[in-house]
Amino acid sequence: MSQLQARFFTEDKRYVVDDVPFSIPAGSEVEDLSNVINKLLLAKNASHSKVDFDFLVRGQFLRTSLSFHMETEGISTEEVVEIEYVERVTAPEPEECMMHDDWISSVDAGWSYDKTVAGHTDVVKDVAWVKRDGLTSLLLTASLDQTILMWEWNSERNKVKARHCCRGHTGSVDTVATDPTGSKFCSGSWDKMLKIWSAVPTDEADEVEEPADRPRKKQKTQQLGLTRTPLMTLSGHNEAVSSVLWCDSEEVCSASWDHTIRVWDVETGGMKTTLTGSKVFNCISYSPLCRRLASGSTDRHIRLYDPRTKDGSLVLLSLTSHTGWVTAVKWAPSHEHQLVSGSLDNLVKLWDTRSCKAPLYDLAAHEDKVFCVDWTESGLMLSGGADNKLYTYRYSACQTDAGA
Amino acid sequence: EDEDLSDSEDSVYSGLEDSGSDSEDDEDEEEALDAAADDDEEEEKEEQAQRVEFTCQLTADWLRLFSVFSCRMSPDIRNTVGNIPMEWYRDFPHIGYDLDGKKIYKPIRNKDELDDFLDKMENPDYWRTVHDKQTGSDIILSDDQVELVNRLQRGQFGDVNFNEYQPSVEFFSKDVMIHPVTNRPADKRSFIPSLIEKEKVSKLVHAIKMGWIKPRRVEDDSRGRYYDLWSTEDSSILAKHKMHLPAPKIPLPGHQESYNPPPEYLFTDEERALWEQQDPSDRKLPFVPVRFSSLRQVPAFPRFIHERFERCLDLYLCPRQRKMRVNVNPEDLIPKLPKPKDLQPFPTTQSLVYQGHSGLVRSISVSPSGQWLASGSDDGSVRFWEVRSSRCMKTVQVGGAVKSVAWNPNPSVCLLAVALDSVVLLLSPSLADRQVVSASERLLSGQDEVEPAEGAGPVTWGEAEGEELNQGIRLRIQHPKAVHQVVWHTKGDYLASVMPDHSSHLQVFIHQVSRRRSQNPFRRNKGLVQCVSFHPVRPYFFVATQRSVRIYNLVKQEMTKKLQANSKWISSMAVHPGGDHVICGSYDCRLSWFDLDLSTKPYKMLRHHKKAVRGVAYHRVYPLFASASDDGSVIICHGTVYNDLLQNPLIVPVKVLRGHVITHDLGVLDVTFHPTQPWIFSSGADATIRLFT
Repeated sequence: MSQLQARFFTEDKRYVVDDVPFSIPAGSEVEDLSNVINKLLLAKNASHSKVDFDFLVRGQFLRTSLSFHMETEGISTEEVVEIEYVERVTAPEPEECMMHDDWISSVDAGWSYDKTVAGHTDVVKDVAWVKRDGLTSLLLTASLDQTILMWEWNSERNKVKARHCCRGHTGSVDTVATDPTGSKFCSGSWDKMLKIWSAVPTDEADEVEEPADRPRKKQKTQQLGLTRTPLMTLSGHNEAVSSVLWCDSEEVCSASWDHTIRVWDVETGGMKTTLTGSKVFNCISYSPLCRRLASGSTDRHIRLYDPRTKDGSLVLLSLTSHTGWVTAVKWAPSHEHQLVSGSLDNLVKLWDTRSCKAPLYDLAAHEDKVFCVDWTESGLMLSGGADNKLYTYRYSACQTDAGA
Repeated sequence: EDEDLSDSEDSVYSGLEDSGSDSEDDEDEEEALDAAADDDEEEEKEEQAQRVEFTCQLTADWLRLFSVFSCRMSPDIRNTVGNIPMEWYRDFPHIGYDLDGKKIYKPIRNKDELDDFLDKMENPDYWRTVHDKQTGSDIILSDDQVELVNRLQRGQFGDVNFNEYQPSVEFFSKDVMIHPVTNRPADKRSFIPSLIEKEKVSKLVHAIKMGWIKPRRVEDDSRGRYYDLWSTEDSSILAKHKMHLPAPKIPLPGHQESYNPPPEYLFTDEERALWEQQDPSDRKLPFVPVRFSSLRQVPAFPRFIHERFERCLDLYLCPRQRKMRVNVNPEDLIPKLPKPKDLQPFPTTQSLVYQGHSGLVRSISVSPSGQWLASGSDDGSVRFWEVRSSRCMKTVQVGGAVKSVAWNPNPSVCLLAVALDSVVLLLSPSLADRQVVSASERLLSGQDEVEPAEGAGPVTWGEAEGEELNQGIRLRIQHPKAVHQVVWHTKGDYLASVMPDHSSHLQVFIHQVSRRRSQNPFRRNKGLVQCVSFHPVRPYFFVATQRSVRIYNLVKQEMTKKLQANSKWISSMAVHPGGDHVICGSYDCRLSWFDLDLSTKPYKMLRHHKKAVRGVAYHRVYPLFASASDDGSVIICHGTVYNDLLQNPLIVPVKVLRGHVITHDLGVLDVTFHPTQPWIFSSGADATIRLFT
């Protein structure tokens, strides 16, 4: 068996080894390398306990034998190989399962809604937090009944109160997103429009020119809160808007069934760039850490885009493992490489962009279609689906591994 | 006369000479030839010689030879003057000199003409008398001499005893002798260069150098008498007329022909039996390979002559013609179809399953926006599904097996027509914007007062009440018979319903929703109506009966075309969104594509399905069409239609979609495309609806 010259390094201060090249067998796999590092650490520090490591060769996770990996990546075996090692991410475990009465269509940082709880006349499609401080919090629900409701939640008394009813869409509102400052929110609807609304609760209703002979049930929903009208309408999509998010406080990014992702300027209301794909986009997510857009589409792929490219459709990376529509995708809030995705094939997958061939972990807890996934800042992963269950996963992302 | 005179003179002298000789009476003695000749001649020769006819033919040589021959034995009186003209001695008394040098005197000629004549008449030896000019005497030839003359005249040898045919000894023969013919040593000149020749050559060379003689010019034949007449002609033309084909060469003998062939070439019993059975012209080998232990035991080939003969016939009698055969690969004749990969997008995989029905789902329909899907099932319910999440949003119990559902294609209203039993229901599912919902409500409730005017017809309109109203059912259109299909016009105001019935002309009704009117467009029964369809743009109406599709112009109220589907029983029909093409599925597993501009016969028949085709559909935007069959599969075909009338539609089957479970021998019952995406919905007998993307 041939030998390779390898030098190990890490950014984790706890597990630093000497910066000298080692000669290791070319056929060694992750386990062998992990044993090598553990032995080195044990030699340095007698109190070291065994830690599992993962290894990165030129930014790609090692998943096969070292020689095979270098062959496929086209790395020369003549030189000293730089191998970075990180503590292995342990498998997320389903921690808690909350039963709901109906399908879970959306989850945002630990809260989910279904039709029975809220008071919409129709199915709730999306939820978003506006403010989560103190005893009262503000949250938004977008529904199939073409309205968005702003709720005030008193956590102490666990009571919700509808503050505003946002009318203006002529199709089911599929997605809603709050801007980083919490003063505005954006909604996307089946009627191909994006609308920007004010998220500040007031006590005055906006002027709405409603037809006088409006049906009775509409009047009933009106009583849930004060009517609010959109600040701005962004039109340009040719098909239903499936997902919307804020890149920063001035930029809104929307994905649509017309196979495009568009970036809008909120100040001017104009469209800035268009990324054209070949399939329907179901969901997008933006990571400020790595400045990448991740999109899930109906052709079962997760694609990463750079939103700053002008009118291009350059796919940076394609993650392929799902066997159904990718319905939800979310970047980790504290890790620049990790994202989680949910699909109609009942699976939630945890990905690392450094290992694009296969996901890090498959989370097969759901028994039916997964519709939504999210992260909490406390390191929990959430997923909800058509089996009425909201799963939380305890996930031990090592703190030091968080880039940035 | 001159000669005669001389002759007479001669004879005179010869007579003198003869005087000394013997008696002249012995004529016949052969032994005394010479003596007799000598004796007799003297006297008679002169006279006789003139009279014998052949005298003149005898040359002097002969006579001299004769005389030499005769003189050998007797005293020679021959003249010694030699061979001179005798007239030189004409004026002399003598005629010459004898051997002793004495004058030979001319015999005394006293004979005149008369004597001569008398002599001729009387002398019996006159004919053999020869005049010797040299001696001037007459000689009477003996019998032997006459005989000799006769022989010579006949060209025979003078000597009777000479055998001219005696065997000859050849000097030059094939036999190589040990001795040379001559032993003379070679000449010196034979091995030294000839000085004379050298001189001659040097003279010639000098003459050539001086230019006196010129060397012979070699004649240039390149452009002379012989040249290629057709050399300037095009070789391809020439090749065309080159019809000669040499006979193929006889193949060289192989192992089979060997007298001791390897065992694998020998016939087994079956092979031999087969060989004997075959017609001689079909046989692979014209003989049976036989093994012999040695070449010496090989008998003559019995068919040798036969084969040679046939070969000869083949060589010069067999008509051979160069066959101009075009070598075409049969695969090249198949038109190049584009690869399915290049024809994307089209549905490839199953994405969602809409579960909830408990009976087979007969009919599905997608809302014009593509957000909702309606399905009608045998379990008596109509369900509304959200397309993207496969969630059943609404279930309406209509109380009967639903045969057909159709969503109003007008996007400004939200209405669903449902056919069950003998009723067509109009549902307002209120799954749309408020204004759309109210618009559809207005459409249904408007023109109330017109209705009772012709209520006596076979169709009655009624409003739903109570619980049905809450479920969204708005109108009931009661038909006389069971309704199998409902179809909307593109504008969304007209609705056609089909009641297949052999015996009645009341098979198709066209309803106007806004005015609540129904009419039967056809007065006569043209066969069992299977399905109907409106033209998407023009006022045409397609009616599919069992074997044909009729196209009616609704404005002119006449039939414009009749399409002959070459199938036994049409099950379903779809009209291209452009309106110029129709596809028909039939229960005998076929799908026929009609190009209305082209012909009334199918442009293409697709026989991809194993079982009856139940449903066909066109996509509204993408160039796709699909067929669903009882074999549980949906086949997606790419069908590009060109605006150019000269270009025929391009039809490529691209995908077979499977997923439905065959239940009660029924597979997929209905297919419909998503209005905007390249997705297809299929409903099956297994109570599910599947979305393929």
